Amino acid sequence: MTTVDPHATDLTVVIVDDHSIFRSGLRADLAHGIRVLGEAATVDDAVELVVSAQPEVVLLDVHLPGGAGGGGAEVIRRAAQAAPNTRFLALSVSDAADDVVTVIRAGARGYITKSASGSDVSDAARRVRDGDAVFSPRLAGFVLDAFGAVSGETAEASDELDRLSAREQEVMRLIARGYSYKEVAASLFISVKTVETHVSSVLRKLQLSSRHELTAWALARKLL
Amino acid sequence: MTRPRVRLVGGVCAGFAEHTGLPLPLVRTLTVVLSLCGGAGLLMYCWLWVVTPVAGDSIEPLKSVLTRPSDEAQVERSARNAPITEILLGLALLAAAAALVASRFGVNVPLSFVIPAIVVLGGAGLAWRQFDDLRQQRSSSSSALVVRALGALILVALGILLFFVTGEEPNVWTVFAASIAVLVGVAIVVAPWALRLTRDLADERAARVREADRAEFAAHLHDSVLQTLALIQQKADPASEASRLARAQERELRDWLFAGSPGASVDLADELRRIAAVIEQEYAARIDVVAAGQSPSAVPDALLGAAREAMLNAARHAGGTVSVYLESSPTTVELTITDRGPGFALADVPSDRMGVRESILGRMRRIGGSADLSPGPGGAGTEVRLSLPLTDGGSHDDS
Repeated sequence: MTTVDPHATDLTVVIVDDHSIFRSGLRADLAHGIRVLGEAATVDDAVELVVSAQPEVVLLDVHLPGGAGGGGAEVIRRAAQAAPNTRFLALSVSDAADDVVTVIRAGARGYITKSASGSDVSDAARRVRDGDAVFSPRLAGFVLDAFGAVSGETAEASDELDRLSAREQEVMRLIARGYSYKEVAASLFISVKTVETHVSSVLRKLQLSSRHELTAWALARKLL
Repeated sequence: MTRPRVRLVGGVCAGFAEHTGLPLPLVRTLTVVLSLCGGAGLLMYCWLWVVTPVAGDSIEPLKSVLTRPSDEAQVERSARNAPITEILLGLALLAAAAALVASRFGVNVPLSFVIPAIVVLGGAGLAWRQFDDLRQQRSSSSSALVVRALGALILVALGILLFFVTGEEPNVWTVFAASIAVLVGVAIVVAPWALRLTRDLADERAARVREADRAEFAAHLHDSVLQTLALIQQKADPASEASRLARAQERELRDWLFAGSPGASVDLADELRRIAAVIEQEYAARIDVVAAGQSPSAVPDALLGAAREAMLNAARHAGGTVSVYLESSPTTVELTITDRGPGFALADVPSDRMGVRESILGRMRRIGGSADLSPGPGGAGTEVRLSLPLTDGGSHDDS
């Protein structure tokens, strides 16, 4: 995920994390051209900051103190209305699939681990700003599992929410193997844009599907 | 003297016979004969039944010493083991027997006074014994406790009532005194239970506090130490010692924090993660294991061996980030190990890797699977794909 980005300038972000060390570390590591509009450490501060600063992307910790105890997901739910052009990228050290699935179902456009390098985070933030989804290998593995792809369930129609299409499964499998989008595109002989479309479509299913595994399995399994 | 576990009624005769060396039939006959003498033998039997411990009980103190730290209470307990309640009960029963025998011989015993007194003594003795057990934390079945408590309750109530009713002709004050006495008696019997109840409550509260403490502790570690370890990994060169240490520590901490139910079976994904952890300790590589599907718990060792070989190769020759993806469907296990190293061309594979390849390909072939080596994504690195069909459910434990 180290593509040279053509839109390397003026991406505005807000960093929401309750650890000042992590915030300053991430801030120092973000690529040039990414402007940090502010930092917040609690749910309430984050909502206020996002609404007032209107950043393009919020780098959002899944676990946050304050508010009603809903963490990152609560920030998304409360701020999304007042900041319609803001997109959310979840950052987590969490082990629990339900944390990640919860924040994605609340509206986050992707999920990346906190041990990812600054350039990876920058790359993911740009991807999210462009309306694409960011999937980690583990999240891809979980998605394959939760949508029954492993046991051979395949969507018949493209608008089916509870199963993945054959192509989406292929893309997810390669992402789960650690491939970048570019590598996925090269392996499947499709364009990167098409890969992004598939990933976004999977994200939409992840957010909207009512498959009970999404919540039930998430509780029982570890993701990260 | 102890009562054997195998017994006719209470094991008293057998125990007595063994203790004194007298023949068992003789002891039994004597007991029956004595019982005919106004029930003296029967009372004696009852007394011994209550007083004599069951054989094998002596293991219990040893067990409690082993399982609990020996402290002052331990010493105090053994000192307190003087059988006060047993003596009390015994005296009561002996007095009863003596009274019965005496009345047989024509002596005018005030039975209306003696019997209630004995019954009350018996009840109180039972109650105190129960109390004693509680203090000693001797584990006794709840049904035994119920029987004993009920017995004590009835005895005390009955005794006190008898005492007053069979005494002088009852008037308002004796009835009043009787009611008070019954209430007090019941209170004495119930006291140990109340005590136990409050202690259980306190224990439960303490346990809950401990659990909450642990959860808070885990949350704190999760929020602080794990974050710091993530930060170190983010900052440090992935191949550096610092990064590797942070990763190993993170793994250990996670294992501890999120330790699942103990005794949970170890499946293939867990095995792979363990192998990855061992390899990471030795080589400058980061191995990400992603698993999808219900990974089987029993797989041939050869598959694990081949997987280890492939991971080791990737770590040794490529380094950096190695991705391991495991997908387990009910019929097949598929494992992909991908690295971003220099890769290889079949033509110029070094001879020392030839053997390694053989150990992967050969192993998989021998267990009926297949292995496939190809260039990694975008033609860089190496991708090893292992595939094993799970036939007849032979090696597949669908739990």
